[in-house]
Amino acid sequence: MKRLFLCAVTSGGRLDNPGHFYVKGGLRGGQSCGQMPLYIPQKVKWYGPNGAFHPRPCGVCCPAHELSSGRLILVTQNNFLSLSPLLSDMSIPNMSAPTRFPLDSLRSLWPYLKMHQRQYVIGMVLVIFANSINLLPFYFIRLVIDGLTGARDGDPGTPGITLAQAGWYALGIVVAAVAAGVFMLYMRRMIVVASRQTEYEVRRDIFAHLQGLDKPYYDRASTGDLMNRLTGDLSAVREMLGFGAWQIVNIVSGFLTSFAVMFSLSWQLTLIVLAVVPIIVGVLTYLARLINVRHRLAQEQNSKIAGKAQENFSGARVVKGYAIEDREIGDYKAMNLELLKRNIALTKVDGPLRSFMSLLLGLAFALILLVGGRLILTSNGAFTVGMFVQFVGTLERLTFPMLMIGWITGVTQRGLASWLRLRELYDARAQVQDVPGRTDTSIRTLDGDLRFQNVSMNYGTREVLKNIDLHVPAGTFLGITGPTGSGKTVLGQLITRSMDPSSGVVRMDGHDLRVIPLRLLHDAVAVVPQEPFLFGDTLANNIAFGVEKQELPLVKTGVSVVGAPPVPNIPQQPDPERVRNAARLAGLLDDIEGFPDGFETLLGERGVTLSGGQRQRTAIARAIVREPAILILDDSLSAVDTETERKILDGLREVSQGRTVILIAHRVSTLRHADKIVVLEEGRVTEQGSHDELLELNGHYAELERLQRLASDLDEDDDAIGDPEAAADRLAARREAIRDAQSHQTQNSQTQPTQTQTRQEVLK
Amino acid sequence: MTAPDDSYKKEFDAQLTRRVLRYVQPYLKLVIGGIVLALLISLASPIFALIQRHAIDAYLTPLALQNVGSLDALYRGLTMTALLYAGLKVLQFGLQYAFALVIGYLGQNVLRDIRADVFSKLQRLQLSYFDQNPVGRLITRVTSDVDAINQFITNGLVSLIQSTFIIVVYVVIMLSVNWRLALISFTVLPILYFATNFFRTKLRDAFRDTRTQQATVNSKLNENITGMLTVQLFGRERRSALDFDHSNRALLTANENSVHWFSLFMPVVAVLGQVAVALILFFASQQILGVGLDANGALQTGVVAGAITVGTLFAFIQLSQQLFQPIQDLADVFNTLQAAMASSERIFGVLDTEEEIADKPDAKTLPNFEGRVDFEQVWFAYDQTVTAETPDSDSRWILRGIDLHIQPGESVALVGATGAGKTSVTALVSRFYDVQRGAVKVDGENVRDLAQHDLRKHVGVVLQEVFLFAGTIESNLTLNNAEIPHERVIEACKYVGVHDYILSLENGYQTEVRERGATLSTGQKQLLAFARALIQNPDILLVLDEATANVDTETELRIQQALVKVMRGRTSVIIAHRLSTIEHCDRIVVMKKGRVVEQGSHSELLEHGGYYARLHRLQYAQADAAD
Repeated sequence: MKRLFLCAVTSGGRLDNPGHFYVKGGLRGGQSCGQMPLYIPQKVKWYGPNGAFHPRPCGVCCPAHELSSGRLILVTQNNFLSLSPLLSDMSIPNMSAPTRFPLDSLRSLWPYLKMHQRQYVIGMVLVIFANSINLLPFYFIRLVIDGLTGARDGDPGTPGITLAQAGWYALGIVVAAVAAGVFMLYMRRMIVVASRQTEYEVRRDIFAHLQGLDKPYYDRASTGDLMNRLTGDLSAVREMLGFGAWQIVNIVSGFLTSFAVMFSLSWQLTLIVLAVVPIIVGVLTYLARLINVRHRLAQEQNSKIAGKAQENFSGARVVKGYAIEDREIGDYKAMNLELLKRNIALTKVDGPLRSFMSLLLGLAFALILLVGGRLILTSNGAFTVGMFVQFVGTLERLTFPMLMIGWITGVTQRGLASWLRLRELYDARAQVQDVPGRTDTSIRTLDGDLRFQNVSMNYGTREVLKNIDLHVPAGTFLGITGPTGSGKTVLGQLITRSMDPSSGVVRMDGHDLRVIPLRLLHDAVAVVPQEPFLFGDTLANNIAFGVEKQELPLVKTGVSVVGAPPVPNIPQQPDPERVRNAARLAGLLDDIEGFPDGFETLLGERGVTLSGGQRQRTAIARAIVREPAILILDDSLSAVDTETERKILDGLREVSQGRTVILIAHRVSTLRHADKIVVLEEGRVTEQGSHDELLELNGHYAELERLQRLASDLDEDDDAIGDPEAAADRLAARREAIRDAQSHQTQNSQTQPTQTQTRQEVLK
Repeated sequence: MTAPDDSYKKEFDAQLTRRVLRYVQPYLKLVIGGIVLALLISLASPIFALIQRHAIDAYLTPLALQNVGSLDALYRGLTMTALLYAGLKVLQFGLQYAFALVIGYLGQNVLRDIRADVFSKLQRLQLSYFDQNPVGRLITRVTSDVDAINQFITNGLVSLIQSTFIIVVYVVIMLSVNWRLALISFTVLPILYFATNFFRTKLRDAFRDTRTQQATVNSKLNENITGMLTVQLFGRERRSALDFDHSNRALLTANENSVHWFSLFMPVVAVLGQVAVALILFFASQQILGVGLDANGALQTGVVAGAITVGTLFAFIQLSQQLFQPIQDLADVFNTLQAAMASSERIFGVLDTEEEIADKPDAKTLPNFEGRVDFEQVWFAYDQTVTAETPDSDSRWILRGIDLHIQPGESVALVGATGAGKTSVTALVSRFYDVQRGAVKVDGENVRDLAQHDLRKHVGVVLQEVFLFAGTIESNLTLNNAEIPHERVIEACKYVGVHDYILSLENGYQTEVRERGATLSTGQKQLLAFARALIQNPDILLVLDEATANVDTETELRIQQALVKVMRGRTSVIIAHRLSTIEHCDRIVVMKKGRVVEQGSHSELLEHGGYYARLHRLQYAQADAAD
């Protein structure tokens, strides 16, 4: 597969800093342009490197050196290295074959269908069998009826029937029904199960694919949107594959077999049916569309009204605070009424669907009775009552297929559109990933010697890091501080290669981070993020989260689940002693022992909600337990009180022997014992040195220290509240304050008139 | 992820059913109409098979010509029959359509009434109820629980009535046409009933299992997508993938199980139908051919004319098939009724919740509002198990004997550490909660004696976290009060200095804002909140002014100015973090651990040299640092 990447070029022929642009909507393969095809069917907004809006992309494909400023170009994968960082998830797979919706959509679904080829084919053959056999009972009924009339008419010329024969025919009906039933049973177990299996496989594969995507992707993607695709869209695709595929075959084979039988019975009556059926189908299709539209309208109102409830319950404080309950209830009632109207409108077209069908068929029957009756009376035995009954019965078999025609188009359209949205997930590519040829697999270990060489980082036009040069020898305890937005977190994220720098190189042990296998890098670095994400699992499992000694088997993707071995059991997490020790070092042990379930305490929705400080300490334990070469703590002691902080820092020193520790913090008390402290301001390193050196410098750090000393004075004052002597002081102060307040009151009442006046002026 | 699916555990409860039915009562006419229609439909339905029987016997059998005489007469009869059939079909459709509409109206109206009741109740419930119940759970009450009751009425009760009617009518007619054949065709029905019941139960369990597994898969998906970067940083991909695969497989198995039962169910019903046909065919043949047992059990041979006809045979095949649907519906009806029990119980649970903060029967309103606020020895705890008798030393007390007297028009700033009880003081002025000891008075009246609604109309709150409703900027400012003129909105916005910003938006005042105001910056939202408070023109203003880190200096300055402006001339209680704001207040009250520790004007407190003085020094230093 040839991959193509889109990028913007900032200046003539220079590819070193391609800049960023953002694409809203999606990209898809197609239309040719020069030698290479570029096709963008959706409305896309293009932004140039300086954020300027481009009315349309210029899909110029030419050698890199001919590029001029501000153009959007297509580049082949060979240029990837030189073009990094690209927003490579905009890649367009398989561009060599320009394709068109929905054929392309179906083609990409083919690999999944192929895995269950056998099931689908057998299932469809069974549908055809069942449809044919289902027509047999009417044949037997006809034979019995004609036999009975023959026996009863007193005319020896017409053949009669014996009871034994009637018995055999009756048995034939049951046998045919059983056979058709068995076929339908296996059909469902083939096709419907296959569609469920495909659903499983697609979910499995997309999950695996999502695991490979990087931070830039997740920064843009919304969880809600991804979830919608993996639930709603996936269901729509499954419905198309299971119910849809079955119904299409059912409709086609049902019509063909029924019409063959009807034609053989009476071509005259068949002609009538042929005239009537298109009308019925037309009307039903129209109704189905109407129902679809009204159903959607009702659904929309339904979510609106649920949204209103959600909003009012979350905003209860505002609603009550401004005493607008009555107005809100009135609003809600109006929306409620609208919902009622829309639901009734839906009922008007939806409710009588079955009786409508029965009406249409009834009218058809009346017509057939009229014409068929004459046929019986005039055909002199060529068309019998039995045949009439068989004809009517065969026609009735078509009720369901006729109803389905209207629905099936909707199911297919939804399914295809949904598959397109799922395809977009497959098409997303990570920018940060191992690239064969670039990644150096010979690197086996990392010691944690870090070097930033002239590193800059841009977000769009915003520079968050500017020419950072920094060396952190292995085993250093480095503190980083600086105001909010100074780039501290980004610096940490560059070390884990959550993203690659816009320019410059980050090196570990002398290797460019981009050549180090990602797995190795992630094993060597442990991060405690600002807002740690914990999982809905036990505390022990959350702490042991990143410990993986044995290589677990990979979940295979792109293979059929049929006959696949059972999912291997996941080995238990490592020894509790190690987890316990990490918890102790993170100052979490006392908290955990306070929980009734200890380390087995379940976190999250169905379990315990940890406090901010507990979350941070859990995340610290989770990082420590991995015994990483580099430990990064990103402002992860902010919600911890000073005493616990001291304990944790002691613990950290215990484990940090020989490890590089990077501690991002605002508190001087946290930073003071670092080997070296770096102050970042607006993306630049403005101060660096030891605690004492920085104090001497009398810059930002010294100022920080002074402020915090003042603040801690206040804290101490806070603590004094329990002190009886302080309490006495406080009481005295309060009495004094009340006296003050009373004198204020008199003062205020004097000034009041003018104040009221002011208010009236403000809002006349 | 989803509400616990405990519906199956609930037994059918007559008490609850009666309460649900009370919602049907106002629509008695619809109910009666529906029942009449259901009866008419039941009576009309078997006619078609009887007409077919007549058509076959009278016109289509070879003997017909002999009976009637002329072909023309036959044609005429046939035409009349066909027309009658078509005409009755139209009538039947009319009845069914009318029935569907009546039931639709009934169900939707009941749905609407219950929804409105639950919503109104929830709007009136005290704030502490919202503190205790997650929003997600409350939403379920007005959505899926209400839907379950609708199912109860439209699918449960209605199909119970309709199915019973149809079964009775069919049984009577079939018996009267030919009781032997009728009894024979009925033999299948009990089997059908029990088979349906059996499979429905199996399917319900299977679907429940599927839903549970689907919920697990969804919550794992959600968790993994949200925490994907953590998974990657900790090299957990393989374990997570395996773990997810386990759940994914379990879902597949559950789905396969559902398919398994479903694939059995449908053919069994179909086969039973054909068995009924075969039985009728055989026994009708037996009677027609005259081979059979007479009433005395003796074997008879020879033609017994008129006992049964081909037309009767055909009609019976039709009638027996038409009995299948109501029997199946009936078999399922109790499942549906039961399923709604848990939902109705939850809904009535909400409706029965006591309104703890309710107006007294003789609640007063204050026509001439002055804006005096008095706290008299107020002790307060959010924990409702705390009562007036709880000892003073209990750690759950939030306010411990607050005495605070605020004059009309006075502005008071509350200062203190987090947890000192500042927010609680403001919440008590609006009577969001009732105090355990002491009294909160507004204009000398205990807030408990005032009509809440009236009280809160006089009290404006600017919250820490500005809550914006989905709608336009203007509707958020007026809080959907259409009576507030646009000019007043503009005036207020100009006053707090957000007018120009609003005009710079694409649609000005009509710009759509989304939930929690995702499209606006923090600073802008705060200015809007001031404008909102100003437009509502309250007599007492409560401002919870969070120190906002992500506000640029210019906006910061604007917020300060706006705050001073909105405070001007009205009783204001402000929780402020900005020094300049505090300095503008007439009085500063320093709180610590639920008590007032210092109060006085800015200069007095500075002179006093207490907590406030030190706080001031620190903030000043910070402000210096920021410059």
